[in-house]
Amino acid sequence: MTELFVVITVIVVALIFDFTNGFHDSANAMAGPIATGALKPRVAVILAALLNLIGACLSTEVAKTISGGFFDDSLITAPIILAGLLGAIIWNLLTWLVGLPSSSSHALFGGLIGAVIVGAGLSSVHGWVIVSKVLLPAIVAPLVAGIAAAWATRLAYQITRKTPSVHSNTGFKYGQAFTASMVALAHGTSDGQKTMGVITLVLIAANLQPSGTGPQLWVIIAAGVAIGLGTYSGGWRIMRTMGKGIVEIETPQGAASGAATSATILASAHLGFGLSTTHVSTGSILGSGVGRGAQVRWSVARRMVFAWFLTLPGAGLVGGLAALLSDQGISGVVVLLVLLAVACSIIYFFSRRNKINHANVTDSHEVLVLAAATPASYDDDPRLEAPQKPKKIKRPKAKSAA
Amino acid sequence: MRIDWAALGIVAVVSIATSVIFTILLAAGIRLVSVAKIKSNEGGSGTATISLGYVLLGIAALLVLFGIYLIVPQFH
Repeated sequence: MTELFVVITVIVVALIFDFTNGFHDSANAMAGPIATGALKPRVAVILAALLNLIGACLSTEVAKTISGGFFDDSLITAPIILAGLLGAIIWNLLTWLVGLPSSSSHALFGGLIGAVIVGAGLSSVHGWVIVSKVLLPAIVAPLVAGIAAAWATRLAYQITRKTPSVHSNTGFKYGQAFTASMVALAHGTSDGQKTMGVITLVLIAANLQPSGTGPQLWVIIAAGVAIGLGTYSGGWRIMRTMGKGIVEIETPQGAASGAATSATILASAHLGFGLSTTHVSTGSILGSGVGRGAQVRWSVARRMVFAWFLTLPGAGLVGGLAALLSDQGISGVVVLLVLLAVACSIIYFFSRRNKINHANVTDSHEVLVLAAATPASYDDDPRLEAPQKPKKIKRPKAKSAA
Repeated sequence: MRIDWAALGIVAVVSIATSVIFTILLAAGIRLVSVAKIKSNEGGSGTATISLGYVLLGIAALLVLFGIYLIVPQFH
């Protein structure tokens, strides 16, 4: 009874994580096309959601190990997975609130590592793997993608210098839409698989599924739908930071950074040095800004890099605390679920103070949490449209004279 | 556990080269098509230029298709 309850809880929480993974990474593919107007915000997220769903259904290979080599596979139990997922969800929501892109994989690893440390001690974690799989890629990904994007951007501008922008923009917008779609599809195949792997692992551990079998159809569909819905919901706060916050993105620049993002993601996925989609696409946008000679907001970039290095310990801390409760049986799990619901509600409440959605995502470059939003230009503020209209009515001059 | 520097180097070179090649094809194709359109608007013939432009855009499209081939595991 207790075991079945924990299994169901893990499945539900894994799908919630999948949802946060989707909306956290929606911007990786679509921030560029939305910022340049290559795709309308709604169209972009629907496209990305469908491609993520298709991608998730395409990936047949279960993630062989969710421990990622960070610790011994035998240490993975349902309570550890539950705690790890909670750590990752909370970290994803907090970074979304402040509008910072950070890797969902790193958050999941961080949460699991924190839970394992609480359960089995610090010595059970292989520190060297953290360096080679988390720290080094976090430096390499933005560098490689950034250099690729900077060169590509520079060339794109040099080649089309004399081409009227009416002609060039259409072509570059097509290029951008296609490369962004590839990123979304690739994301579905890699990240959708993570949740399927977690659920399958828990089902096998509980003897509800024979060991050595792949994910069941309902698991594949549930994971695909969860990541698709997450992507559709947009994660507009992160979208704003990536599309507007780092640098203003022009159309040729957007096409070049899209090319760099998809090339780097595909190369790293197929040539053996895995890089995070988030780090790659942020690096491309940054690099494309440098390549165009545009003004890059380095303060935003710095905050992002801090968030990347804090992801593992941050999610680990939450995961570790959650692990204290998750192996206390049903009562512990229920308390955890209540705490998760409370934390989600608080973060959601704060996000409402300065709401960002598909309508206002490109209006400003700032993602504010506590301070009141000040529109970049008062003329652009949609809230002022209604009161402005009466001003246009001509008043009889006689009245003002009197 | 050692860091696979060779894999890292290959990823870096392939990523940068592919991004640059794709962008050159796209930008050059766009430019040639635009040049041909302007030419034909002025009464000249831009057939050769426009064909070359579409060939370059076609190669760029092939790169996209190759990317999709790499993404979909059922294809390989």
